[in-house]
Amino acid sequence: MKDLIAILNQIRPGQDFAGSTDFFSQGVLDSLDLTTLVAELETRYNVFVDVEEIVPEKFRNLAAIQQLLAKHGVTL
Amino acid sequence: MTAGANGNGNSRGMRQVLLVGDTTLDPLARLLDRNPDAPKLRCSAAPYGQVFQILLDGSHPAWAHKPDDLVVWTAPQLTLPSIGKLMRFEAISHDEALREAEQFADAVLQAASRISLVLIPTWILPSRERWIQMLSCKQGVGLANLLARANLVLAEKFTAQSNVVLLDANYWQTSLSRPAHDPRMYAVAKILYSQPMLEKAAAEIKSVLRGSLGLAKKVIVCDLDNTLWGGVVGDEGAHAIKLGAPDPVGECFHAFQSALKGLRARGILLAICSKNDEKFALSVIDDHPAMVLRKSDFVGWRINWKDKAENLVSLAEELNLGLDSFVFLDDSPQEREQVRQMLPQVYTPDLPVSPADLAPFVSSLDCFETPALGREDFERTEMYQAERGRREVVEMSGGVENWLRSLQIEVRVARVQRENLPRAAQLLNKTNQFNLRLRRMDEQSFWNWVEEPGNSAYVFSVSDRFGDFGLTGLATVSRQCQDAQIVDFVMSCRVMGKKVEEALLGYVFSQALADGAVRIMAPAFEGPRNAPAREFFAGKYLRGDDTTIDPERVAIPSAITLKEESLAPA
Repeated sequence: MKDLIAILNQIRPGQDFAGSTDFFSQGVLDSLDLTTLVAELETRYNVFVDVEEIVPEKFRNLAAIQQLLAKHGVTL
Repeated sequence: MTAGANGNGNSRGMRQVLLVGDTTLDPLARLLDRNPDAPKLRCSAAPYGQVFQILLDGSHPAWAHKPDDLVVWTAPQLTLPSIGKLMRFEAISHDEALREAEQFADAVLQAASRISLVLIPTWILPSRERWIQMLSCKQGVGLANLLARANLVLAEKFTAQSNVVLLDANYWQTSLSRPAHDPRMYAVAKILYSQPMLEKAAAEIKSVLRGSLGLAKKVIVCDLDNTLWGGVVGDEGAHAIKLGAPDPVGECFHAFQSALKGLRARGILLAICSKNDEKFALSVIDDHPAMVLRKSDFVGWRINWKDKAENLVSLAEELNLGLDSFVFLDDSPQEREQVRQMLPQVYTPDLPVSPADLAPFVSSLDCFETPALGREDFERTEMYQAERGRREVVEMSGGVENWLRSLQIEVRVARVQRENLPRAAQLLNKTNQFNLRLRRMDEQSFWNWVEEPGNSAYVFSVSDRFGDFGLTGLATVSRQCQDAQIVDFVMSCRVMGKKVEEALLGYVFSQALADGAVRIMAPAFEGPRNAPAREFFAGKYLRGDDTTIDPERVAIPSAITLKEESLAPA
């Protein structure tokens, strides 16, 4: 989880990712950050996120991202 | 005056960059903003799909931030309707497609008059666009053929416009291990390019901006053992080092030296810093049959058992260059780490582990960017070597005056004209130490300034009996009634310490008087490294708090011959 927060902090420094329940509705991330996040996760964890998964709901908080990565065989 | 042309602030502070494209470029803007390397940027991406509107209309809201630089990155299939049709195998006229390319180029040129620097990545096709391979390169038929011609149209149209630079996006694409295009991100957010491609673009744009601002590196300092050749020559002997055929590792070091020799040919100085026996190492360099680089390819060396950071400092002093213009290549992680800690201003990259990657590594270094190449670049190593000869003479001649006289220095002065403008602008933008005002201006802005009434600009070429230094001085004067101001006073560090600056000032001063000036001032800008210029002028002022030059302190040294060449005004 530390790794994931570090990736998010690189994209948006100084945000409270652990305390946010919905990054997008709470203004922690925007839709462009989402595309960067997908690219970073793919590089870091060697996974491929398909187009139907690139939606804010799948990345709305740490638990959602953890769940998505788990689906791709990555345990945080 | 165009944005950034006054050189006050933009090159030292935050540069504003406007990104314009037919797809979403916001991720590129963010990468550029967050990139910690100089120069610091504040980027804004205009709404996508308004390329022509923005380029043609100076009152478009996209220009509200008054950008210094403009990046226009378009996809050929979107900006040139004919290319899009050809990708879908629709019938098109190739001539019409080239006219579309011309229209785009004309729109860029119109925008270029409003801005300091315009960067245009060349058009590339989507990474997996195979088209019909048997036809793609065929003249008048193929997609690849048409795209190459469209890119040539851009190159031709931009030739005469020095502030418009075409960037080779095809190189960016081929340097990646992953596709440059990402159809998922295009579907999600109209982002055409993949994250690796955007990162590459950001790095290259930064590199080009550094080059245009005179922040490029000038010297590569190499270790010897396991860097220029395989093995430790002091332990194994000259016959046992790995260098050249038939040994494959030897071939790799040979290729590495060839790549360095290429950089030397285009004006990057080479030097050596190695823990070895100097006499033995130099004999290997000059006598080993497979060495590509010989002693004459290096402008200096420190081959001894001293600390490498200390040696680099001493090399910088000898070459009269700042350590921030140095790149240090050494196979030893310990040596690299020590130099990084002691001299963080020296760029000390990690070297690839495999010798096979050394040559490609050098070829991919992005720290030597330059907007132009001229005679001074091609002959730079020889000029520095002649300087070594001069230093040896001063040690033998006894007394500076005798030494100066023995050099037979000749200074040739000319007005800034179209022919010498590229070198004059290069000198203005690259010189950090002997530069009174540190104005940074692109060629066109500088030319516009030179042509303004009351302004004069002179270039100086210097030679002595050891060789020609080339065009190494620039001075500009702006006169209003009886007051004249020396605006730029720039001299290459190669000619420092020979009283050439006295001759330059003497000439400029006499010209200003002849033009009607009574009072001549030379205010300085206090930059981090221009103390040599500031201190020289501080010794010429009437009083400490007044930048008016005291005529009693200006004289062309008798040991220097000054000649005027084709002095017709620009």
